[in-house]
Amino acid sequence: MIQYLIRRILVFIPMLFALTVIVFALMQAAPGDPFSQKMDPNIDRAIYEKQREALGLNDPIHVQYWRWVTNAVKGDFGDSLIYKGRTVADLIAERFSNTINLGIMTLLITIIVSIPIGIYSARHPYTPLDYGATTFGFLGLATPNFFFGLLAIYVLSIQLGWLPSHGTVSKPGIEGFELFIDKIRHLVLPSLTLGLAGTASYMRYMRSEVLDVLGSDYIRTARAKGMTENTVLYKHTLRNALIPIITLLGFEVGILLGGAVITEGVFQFPGLGTLFITSIGNRDYPVIMAINLMLGFFVLLGNLLADIFYSIVDPRIRYD
Amino acid sequence: MKFKKSWLLLLSFVLMLGILAACSGGNDAGTEPEGEGTETEQPAEGPQKGGTVVGAMDTPPSGQFNPIFYEEAYEANILSFIYEGLLSQDENLNFTPGLAKEWSFNEDNTELTFKLEENVKWHDGEPFTADDVVFTYKMLASPGYIEAGGIRSYFAANLVGYEEFSTGASQDFQGVVKVDDYTVKFVFAQPNVKALADASFTIIPEHIFADIPMADMPAAPESRDAGKIVGTGPFKFTEMVQGEQYVLEKNADYWKGEPYLDSVVWKVVDQAVILGLLETGEIDFVADPNGFQAADFETVDAMPNVEIIEQPDFGYQIMGMMVNHRAAGDKTLDPSKWTVNEKLKDQKVRQAIAYAVDRQAIIDGLLYGRGIVQNSPIATQFEAYDDKNPPQYAYSEDEAKKLLDEAGYKDVDGDGFREDPAGKEWVLNLNYPLGNQIRERSAPIIEEYLEAVGINIDLRQPKEAAAYFEDLDNNAQDWDLYLVGWSLDSTDPDPTGLWDAPAAYNYSRWNNAEADAILKEANTPPEAFDKEYRNGKLSEWQVKFGEDLPALILYAANSLWAHNTRLHGVDVLPYSFLNDTHLWYVTEEE
Repeated sequence: MIQYLIRRILVFIPMLFALTVIVFALMQAAPGDPFSQKMDPNIDRAIYEKQREALGLNDPIHVQYWRWVTNAVKGDFGDSLIYKGRTVADLIAERFSNTINLGIMTLLITIIVSIPIGIYSARHPYTPLDYGATTFGFLGLATPNFFFGLLAIYVLSIQLGWLPSHGTVSKPGIEGFELFIDKIRHLVLPSLTLGLAGTASYMRYMRSEVLDVLGSDYIRTARAKGMTENTVLYKHTLRNALIPIITLLGFEVGILLGGAVITEGVFQFPGLGTLFITSIGNRDYPVIMAINLMLGFFVLLGNLLADIFYSIVDPRIRYD
Repeated sequence: MKFKKSWLLLLSFVLMLGILAACSGGNDAGTEPEGEGTETEQPAEGPQKGGTVVGAMDTPPSGQFNPIFYEEAYEANILSFIYEGLLSQDENLNFTPGLAKEWSFNEDNTELTFKLEENVKWHDGEPFTADDVVFTYKMLASPGYIEAGGIRSYFAANLVGYEEFSTGASQDFQGVVKVDDYTVKFVFAQPNVKALADASFTIIPEHIFADIPMADMPAAPESRDAGKIVGTGPFKFTEMVQGEQYVLEKNADYWKGEPYLDSVVWKVVDQAVILGLLETGEIDFVADPNGFQAADFETVDAMPNVEIIEQPDFGYQIMGMMVNHRAAGDKTLDPSKWTVNEKLKDQKVRQAIAYAVDRQAIIDGLLYGRGIVQNSPIATQFEAYDDKNPPQYAYSEDEAKKLLDEAGYKDVDGDGFREDPAGKEWVLNLNYPLGNQIRERSAPIIEEYLEAVGINIDLRQPKEAAAYFEDLDNNAQDWDLYLVGWSLDSTDPDPTGLWDAPAAYNYSRWNNAEADAILKEANTPPEAFDKEYRNGKLSEWQVKFGEDLPALILYAANSLWAHNTRLHGVDVLPYSFLNDTHLWYVTEEE
């Protein structure tokens, strides 16, 4: 197992390297640079030319890439070209904790809501609750994030005043338990919004997986042996039904960490998603590269974790 | 079972409708007057002390709070509470005293001497003196300033010795000289019409920044961290949650008098949510740079607790007409290397295009009437703006057709589109960028107007801003028409930076020797110091611009700002909502 893990992690390196090469090349191929849309009639464009030169943007691509890689290996991801005076590491660190919080909360909501309902629906198909869940599922999948987000803000925040509508804290300077509660309160609406589609789809997956497994031969055998319904369900069915869900969740981790541009926008929640998008629009190369690298890493990691969880839920799967 | 199923489906459908109805119902309820709002128009007594005001902006500032390095309007919102310059501008855009109480020019207008306010203290208690002024301008002129990311060197570029100092050839900068602690002299290389504008830059404290090397300045805590930033303004920047909230507390020792408010908080809120919070009173004002959308005007107007401020913006959207093209790969700005754009070279054609577009209809349709038709590229707020003499190009399809006929552009093959005088196909390419929704929506409308008079338009796919502007700069050889928006400076009306032939932003590559000569006269001392003379010249230039028409000015959208009626003392300037904020006060109606 350990050997397998090491092997898998070593494979990360060439993959991430390939990722950075591709992203760097694509980005350089895209027209424009951080200065091409800065237009102030007072400012001589020669100034921007000087700044390009100072930042090394006029160097050949391979020189720029090599400079980036050698620094990145040393852990130096450079300075943002747009957020003046801020290092990329600092910018990402600031946003990353917000994104992690949002991601965890969303994942929790998704799992806690979708899996039990999915199981219930499968055990009691074609009952009112199952239909209710199905309806909710389709509504959830069909509702765009920004719409649900705005609706939630309008009802729960503006009309009822229960929950905050924007940001991650109510004011600077609060600490300890109060801060914890405050942060949770700020997370509720964005994570509900972000988790809506996920919850709906996992619920559907779970239902169909459990139904599928319940219809299989080994379940019939288990029942024939006289096992209680609970043992059949939790020991035999659930483990098998969870395998595909875990694969999906593995991807989901990467996606959630990538941030949710639209949801972050509606709630002005400073996460990685909005940073990523504005950086692309502004051609803030160092930030784009660093986020890409990080996302690539987490997608790989998510998949690795999924593989490890397989072996836990399904003892037949072994890694040597 | 069958029956049950359909019954359930029906039930869920009804439920869904119910939810939707509840939402729209809530909306109506929200706009109803809530009783207490209307009686707060007039405060019972005068200004009251205390209270907090919350402002909203829809995009987080990038976090650079050093006046010599920041670039965006979002930082400017915060900085204008903290820092001040020697001069300010009044509602007529005349310069008024700021940190300087009076000033005088020498005889040949090369020296400008300021007497400074003497009882001004920085937020940390140090006195503000002439040394700070000298230091600020020295920083703007320093070698390495541009390389460190600074772009405001133009404030210092007209000062004597700028070249030598900024290139490192000289160690000594004589452009701004301290006469005594409270007297400072700006020395210009040439008599300078824009001397006051040049001297109006925000002053930073020498005792804070003197020991920080230029290259480290943008990253220094003194440029970035709340609590470390030291200005002379009415509010101190005390706390922030980066990207979310910025807290300013009153500077009790403010030299113009202690502010009434205890604090001002800036919150970052999505555009779509701002209005809801404005109504609940969670935010008190929204202003620059984006205000609120014209489409929401009625909604905001109906809020009993909110007052709207509407005034022209310093900027406009244009449809440029490329009269010349730069050669591919030519990055110099030498008009002699340009080639004439045959498709648009006839002045009558450009005038016909202007007549063919119903600009008022665009304003009414896309801006809900919250904008103005403007016929010259100088901001309307300046006295120099001439709205009478330049041609007005009131929408007239007939006039457009007549001019095109006269110019020889006629439909000879009967396909509904005109051919050029030689009888060849004549297609104008119209390019536009993404990023401004109203501008994006105006492009196909313009196409329709032009096709209605028989001009064949190839409306190109819009491009993302970074790509578009790079092309506009370098690869516009087959472009004819282009959309772009300009924000203008409020300190001086001079259009040289946009429309002089060698100007980088003269994307139409307009090269009109007569117009350039007039513009030059308008800026040449000593005559140009006479405001009437200068405005007269600028008026002549505006007429030339209008006749030759290197661009059609489509519209100037109004700024739409709003504030809660509990906030008093708001005295906006043409260029800013934030003016004399130490005189702002709130009345609590609860």
